[in-house]
This record gives sequence, structure tokens and C-alpha cells, in this order.
Amino acid sequence: MAGGGLPHPLLLVVEGFHSVGLNVPDTVVNAWVVMGIMIVIGSMATRKLAMVPGGMQNFFEFLVGGLESFVVANIGEKGRKVFPFLCGLFVFILIGNLIGFVPGFDAPTANINTNAAMALTVFIYYNFWGLKLWGPGYIKHFLGPFWWLIPLMLPVELISHLARPLSLTLRLFGNVRGGEIVLVLLFALAPVVSTFPMYFMFILAKTIQAFVFFMLSMIYLKGSLEHAH
Amino acid sequence: MLDKFLKSPIFKDKKTWDAVGNASVIGLHLVSGVLVGLFIGYWLDVWLGTKPWLLLLFLLFGIAAGFRNIYLEAKKFQEENTTTNHDDQG
Repeated sequence: MAGGGLPHPLLLVVEGFHSVGLNVPDTVVNAWVVMGIMIVIGSMATRKLAMVPGGMQNFFEFLVGGLESFVVANIGEKGRKVFPFLCGLFVFILIGNLIGFVPGFDAPTANINTNAAMALTVFIYYNFWGLKLWGPGYIKHFLGPFWWLIPLMLPVELISHLARPLSLTLRLFGNVRGGEIVLVLLFALAPVVSTFPMYFMFILAKTIQAFVFFMLSMIYLKGSLEHAH
Repeated sequence: MLDKFLKSPIFKDKKTWDAVGNASVIGLHLVSGVLVGLFIGYWLDVWLGTKPWLLLLFLLFGIAAGFRNIYLEAKKFQEENTTTNHDDQG
């Protein structure tokens, strides 16, 4: 059904929206589901904060703490300012990727529109930080090391910056959508027997993809936060 | 049970996972630069009516940008390697 045309048995929330007569695109509904899950889990984790964390709080301290130390180790102390954006992105993509495996739900990241929206947000966000920190001097990030190389370096840099949202979008879309197509095809060939091991492989692959998106956004932000050289 | 899971050896091996993340990036970085260069060139050609010169020029720029991305990736690998080596020694 949805999933951009892949045969999906029944998408609970999407069907619910259709039955009420709300014509929201399926991808947006799926993204809202992920947002809802994030809000519920987040409030569950922070409702009873304890000095000795247990359960949900323990898990989130592990996740957020680990990511924050990773970001600070790579960007430096400036990274703490942009960390909430990066961490939110990571958790959203991770849940979005993995929810595609839950029967009755679909991955919002299996649609190119969600990914393009996120990649463009990253693109605008790191350029915003660059302009805010360096002002007009941000252009130096695009000019290369020598003044006589500017005619060559400026178009090359501009193209490579414009290529970033494209590669972010296509990588995440290709991996998530490809995984779903493989699962559907394998299910048609040999139900359950062949799809069960693939589940574990794709859980691993999609976690890595969420991490790659997060890591690349971090590197782009690092590039705009630090001095041009 | 969650505690045990979080302390399992999969999470200890962070360097390998970082390397997996880094390695999976390279392919599209090479291609996307070329694609964007080609697209800009094509668009400028249609706009200015200079077929096919700007397309060729920007295709070359795009290829250069793609290889520059790879160069930057390689530099990043190297920096990470040197820092981890320092950690091992210290």
C-alpha cells in the first residue's frame, strides 16, 4: 500500500488518518508517529529523574552522554551549542529507520521527501552557524588556501557544498528503501525463513545509517564552526 | 537486562564502528559532486544558451569537487589514526 508503493499489509496510523478523511501525505503521518514516540519516550525518561538512574533514564543517559562526548571530542566545546540539534536528528532517524520493521508502521525515512527535508535543514543550519560566527568572512571557507587558486576553488567548493545535501539524502533513502525492498522480495520468495536473519542485518545497517547521517552533519557543522584555513 | 545489554562487547568496539561509518560515506561523496556539477552546468546552458560549453566546464568542476571530497575524507581518516595512535602510546 504505502511505503511509496511497496506492498505493506496494513499501516495502522495511515489508515486511521484516511478513514477520518484527513488527506495528509503518508510520509508526514509516519514522521508524526515517530515524533509522537519521541515525545512519549522523552517524557517517560525524564518524569522520575533519580541520582542513580534506572531503566529508561539509564538508557538515555548512556545514549545522550555517549553522543555528547563524541561531539565534544570532535568539534570541541563549541559543539555543546549544536548538540541538541544533532542528537535530535540522530534519535529521529534511528526511530524512523527501525519503525519500518514494526508491523503496521512504515519508515518515514524510506521516502525521499523526509530525507531531503532533513538534509536541507542540516545544510541551512550549518551555513547559518557559519554566517553567524564569521559574518561576511564566512566566504573565506570557500576560497581555498591561495588567492590565485580562487577561480578554481570557488566553483569546486560551491559544488561540493551543494553536493552535501544530495549525498545525505540519497544515502539514507537508498539504504532504508533498499532494505525494505529486499525484505519484501525475500518475503515473497521464502516467508519468515529468509527474512528473519535479514531483520538483524538491516537493524544493524540502519543503525549505522542513522549514525552516519549524524556524523556527517557533525562534520559539516565542525567545518563551519572552525576557522577557514 | 538493559544494563547487561549496554555493557555487551558490541559497544566496546567503537573504533570499528566509527571506521564502518567513515567507509560507507566515500562512494556517494565522489558521485554527488559530479552530479551537482553536471546539473548546474546543464541548467546554466539552458538559461544562457551556451550549449554545451558550460556543461563541460561544470562537469570538470564537479569531478574536481568529487575528488576533493575524497581527499578530505582521506585526511580525516589520517587525523583519526594519528590521534588514536597517540592515545595508545599515552
